[in-house]
Amino acid sequence: MRLYDLFKLALSNLKRRKTRTFLTILGVVIGTASIVVMVSLGLGMSQMMLKSYQDEGSLTMIRVYESYERNDSSEKNKQLTELTDDNVERFRALDHVVEVSPALDVSVSAKCNGAESDFTIRGVSQYYLSQLKLRECGEIPKKDQNELSLIYGNQILYNSFYKTKTYESMEIDPYKDTIFLTFPASDYSEKRSNSDSESDTVKKQKKYIIPVSGILSGGKDDWSENSYNAYADIDTLKKFLRKLYKKALVPAPRTTKNGKAYTYYVYDTIYVFVDDMNNVKEVQKQLADMGFSVNSNMEWLESAQQQLGMVQMVLGGIGGVSLLVAAIGIMNTMMMSIYERTKEIGVMKVLGCDMSDIRNMFLFESGIIGLMGGIAGLMVSYLISFIINFLTSDNGESVSMFIGYSEGGSLSYIPLWLAAFAIIFAIAVGSVAGYVPAVRAMKLSPLAAIRNE
Amino acid sequence: MEPLIKVRDLYKIFNIGSNKVYALNGVSFDIYKGEFIAIVGTSGSGKSTCLNMLAGLEAPSKGVIQIANKRIDRMNEAQLVRFRRQNVGFIFQSYNLIPSMNAIENVAMPLMFRGVGHEERMKAAKHYMELIGIGDQSMHMPNQMSGGQQQRVGIARALVIDPQIIFADEPTGNLDSHTTADVLDLMKRIVSEEQRTMVMVTHDPHIASWADRQLKVVDGHIVETVINESSPIEIKIKEENGEPPFCEVTGS
Repeated sequence: MRLYDLFKLALSNLKRRKTRTFLTILGVVIGTASIVVMVSLGLGMSQMMLKSYQDEGSLTMIRVYESYERNDSSEKNKQLTELTDDNVERFRALDHVVEVSPALDVSVSAKCNGAESDFTIRGVSQYYLSQLKLRECGEIPKKDQNELSLIYGNQILYNSFYKTKTYESMEIDPYKDTIFLTFPASDYSEKRSNSDSESDTVKKQKKYIIPVSGILSGGKDDWSENSYNAYADIDTLKKFLRKLYKKALVPAPRTTKNGKAYTYYVYDTIYVFVDDMNNVKEVQKQLADMGFSVNSNMEWLESAQQQLGMVQMVLGGIGGVSLLVAAIGIMNTMMMSIYERTKEIGVMKVLGCDMSDIRNMFLFESGIIGLMGGIAGLMVSYLISFIINFLTSDNGESVSMFIGYSEGGSLSYIPLWLAAFAIIFAIAVGSVAGYVPAVRAMKLSPLAAIRNE
Repeated sequence: MEPLIKVRDLYKIFNIGSNKVYALNGVSFDIYKGEFIAIVGTSGSGKSTCLNMLAGLEAPSKGVIQIANKRIDRMNEAQLVRFRRQNVGFIFQSYNLIPSMNAIENVAMPLMFRGVGHEERMKAAKHYMELIGIGDQSMHMPNQMSGGQQQRVGIARALVIDPQIIFADEPTGNLDSHTTADVLDLMKRIVSEEQRTMVMVTHDPHIASWADRQLKVVDGHIVETVINESSPIEIKIKEENGEPPFCEVTGS
């Protein structure tokens, strides 16, 4: 028998019992929609999470800190695990490492229009700077410029300046307002005997006006790992600091046993950039094995995603149960229809219809139920998804605050593969549910046709 | 002349509890191409069982059924279906048209099982419906037609595959006497004009008398065979073989 004829026969059989077909399809619609919506919620959440992590900082970046849990604090080991330029080079030699940036932190106080703030100037490499997202007008400080220039994190400008007396928050525009920076006094001096008194030091502190090179993109409500710091090119910063602190290099240098300041830089953090998200874990492990304390956003993302994976499975399971019920519905409908059509099936067998054709005809019928249910279910899912996203977006402020996701993105996300999967799965469920009835129909005796009631 | 159907020592035994019921108790006969055979008997005589076994709808308990040199008693169900599709037309007592299809689609259905394309099978169906005189009713649904019209559609459906044998199970059982005569005339005309072989089962001796040859069945035995001496095909068989068709008459 031709496939087309089989299909047409199946379709006309379904048309004969419209109400029952409709109700069975309705079951599949509900089943499919609940699976798709549930999975879409899981996907949406995971996507949102990924996005929020990406907003906060690069997922391919590993932060390396000096490890403080050292039992054998011998001098040699200590040197090995200090964050020095030597170690920067060692990290650079690792597989999958694209770039390594040390970070030299100097905390400064700032004054502007009668408001005060404290923040950190972080000297980083050109590569790190190039990863920062700036507002349109700004640019990255050049590598070999003579004068220090800064990129301000957006949060410094919006949320860190307070009026000295009223503690009132103030917004600053570094392009218009002049910011006076005070660098901390060196707490190291080569001649300890004649160290100045505290008050003296304060008096001596000089105020600097440092040109603005750019501002990180993002408004008042955008936070990221970077938004509370100011950034500078590390080499320029080093040069600048050397003028201030001479041989000590930094305000609070480490000292050797005999009280001399280190002659090399020890960084607070080193950033290691990896070529791909999937290699982060591997590189991170290598760094940890070298005795450093490490973390990455990827690490957090992974554990968060593991938890979310569980949630997704539970959600999918709930949807799955309703599709299972729908499958039982299909089976029931097909069984009924076989009992009703016993005679007809017998006639077809007497007239020479192949057993496999009879089976296929019933499989087609249940498959069509699955297909139609799948398509309608998908449309319903898109509708529900739209409503969910509408309610959780800005238009439904109260709901979104309750759920806790308001920053763009959508809570329910139906990718194309999910749509395709849903329809194929619905057809498969229909066919599987129809299989037992179809085989039963195939095995019916043709004698039923002869019997006369 | 070689017989088209050869039946030898055919038994059908049903086990009902510990009792054995002999629905068919050893029958042997030949049927030749072009014959119109009536198997006559009261209800429970085994006539329907005999027809079902000839059509491969029931498996015999014992015995040989050979149709066109093929042992159909040895075929499995899939082979029997294929055999029926190629060689057998079937006319039912209650017509058994598919209610969701119109007349011409019902007629064309057996060709659909063969995988014949839509246009070709509609052409064939149209041809046979015109032959039978219901060409104008091709678009009617079964429930819009009278019993006689439905049975004509059934006959056209049996003819459409160009079968070697047509089996008819009480084809006039649900018709009034006037229509019965019409349908029987039609069947007889088809058999003689188209050189078909027809095996009909009936309980009515009057209807059976339309046939070229009657096999009377009582309690699973063939007790009498009546040949219509004026029938051209019977004359022809006798001329060629020198004797009437073989039929073993047993019992009383």
